[in-house]
Parts: sequence; C-alpha cells; structure tokens
Amino acid sequence: MTEPTPQPDRVVQIDINAPITQVWDEITKTGRIQRAVYNTVLDGELRPGGRLRYYSPNRKRVFVVGEVKEIEPPHRFVHTYVMTLNPDPPTLVTWELEERDGACRVTLIHSGWTDAHKTADKTAAGWEEILGLLKAQVETGQIPLKTRVMYGVMGLFSFALPKTTTVDYADRQGW
Amino acid sequence: MEPDDLDPVWRALANPLRRRMLDYLKEGPMTTSELTERFPDHTRFAVMQHLKVLEEGNLVVPRRSGRKRFNHLNAVPIQQISDRWISRYQRDWAEALVDLKEKLESEQPPKDHARETS
Repeated sequence: MTEPTPQPDRVVQIDINAPITQVWDEITKTGRIQRAVYNTVLDGELRPGGRLRYYSPNRKRVFVVGEVKEIEPPHRFVHTYVMTLNPDPPTLVTWELEERDGACRVTLIHSGWTDAHKTADKTAAGWEEILGLLKAQVETGQIPLKTRVMYGVMGLFSFALPKTTTVDYADRQGW
Repeated sequence: MEPDDLDPVWRALANPLRRRMLDYLKEGPMTTSELTERFPDHTRFAVMQHLKVLEEGNLVVPRRSGRKRFNHLNAVPIQQISDRWISRYQRDWAEALVDLKEKLESEQPPKDHARETS
C-alpha cells in the first residue's frame, strides 16, 4: 500500500471585537448550545486526553468526535476531529486566540489532511461560516435569520441522517 | 464617512495583481517564493508588499509549517462583505420559510421522526 499524500492545512481567521475570555468561553462552552458551531452542544472532558463530542441539540445525534490534545485558556484549544457523517481518519483542529488592539484574533487551523480524506473540501468551507457566526454571536448576541432557518430545516431532517451519527454508534466505536 | 472594519479588505481587493494572487492561493497555500514565480514581471519585493496589504485586509494568513512559511487564502472577510449586503435580501424568503414551518407544525400532529427535532 502506498502512503497517503499529505494535503495542505486549512487556515481561517477572523477578528472579533470582544474580550478574549468571552470568545474563549463561547468556544469551550459545554452542555449548552453553541449557535456558531451549527447549533451543536459540546460535551466531554476538556483536558488533555479527554474525549469530546459535538451533539445535536436534543443529544440524539453526534456530529463530531475527538480527543483533546491541548487546552490552554484563553489561547489554545487543540483536539482531534472525526466527522461521524463521513468517518474519515482523524484530523486535527487547532483554535488559537490572541489579543490584538483590544479585539480578539481567532485563527482556526484544520490540519492532518491526506488525499484519503473525502470530507476535506466540505469541512473547510464550514469553518468560514462558523467563524463568521462566532463573530456575530459574540458581538451582537445573535446569529442571522437565514442561519436560524437553516438550523430549523436541519432539525426537521435529522431523521434522515445516517446511523453513524447516532449516540449508540459512537458509543460502540469507542468515540 | 465612518471608518469601517472592512476598509482594509476593500483596499486589498482594489488592485488587479492582488486579486490574481488570491486566485492562485485559492488553489492552495503557497510560499512567497512560489507565488513570486507566478509573477515574472514583478520583483520578490513587490510581491511581498502586496502580500502585506492582503494580510492587513486579513485576506491572507501567513502560517509556518515545518521549515516553510505558507500564505493561506482566508475567505472570511469576503463572506462578511457578502453577508452585509446580501442578507437583507434573504430576510424575505427566510421569514416566509419560518412562517411556513410554524404553520405546518401547528396543523400537523408530529410524526415519530419529527419528534427528533429540537
């Protein structure tokens, strides 16, 4: 077998006009809906080696699973990433937050891609949207109407999601 | 006129050479040397100056990977521009869809699968 060929990292960045701690609290918030991250609920043990999951709001589905690699409040949050919709080999997500002229610069690096990953392009597009929503959520306390509509529609069709997104399946995989 | 978060983005986009640089970076991150090779009529210094303006507009994010420093296209500011002017036109259909969803849900008893929605 030939080794998979490495692919470039995906890097997206946004400046948010808010204190760094507020942005940090939003992205590491557990047990409550993160509206910027596709209306999911992050849960797990946020310490190195801890498992994490991004659930649907009703906790019946799991969309992303991973293991925490680094967590340094309020600057750095690194975890492995597997999308249950299309379970490719794990990639690595790095959130970097830095203070910059009273604002917070957020850099998201999604790395570890190879040509064996099918989800590469789709996921990269998603981060741009997520960072835009994070800015809206933190600065104004709300997200655009079109996104809320999208979440409503996604919720209506959750019955059509593949079995790999069920909590049962994730448990059996040891995710 | 008030200064605006997006001013540096407009400034960065206002130059055809810089827009061409973004077109190349859309295909994947490149080192400054790789990018300079695409513009034989321009010096490395000129390319670096243009990259600096793109960085100020947050359209390019430099990032070290191993021993190389790559320039990554960051499309977020372009999306912000789109959201700012397009979202008002999306309100109408978005509101219509919300109304439709509420109307349908109030008329129909929920089926089994519909209960899964939050």
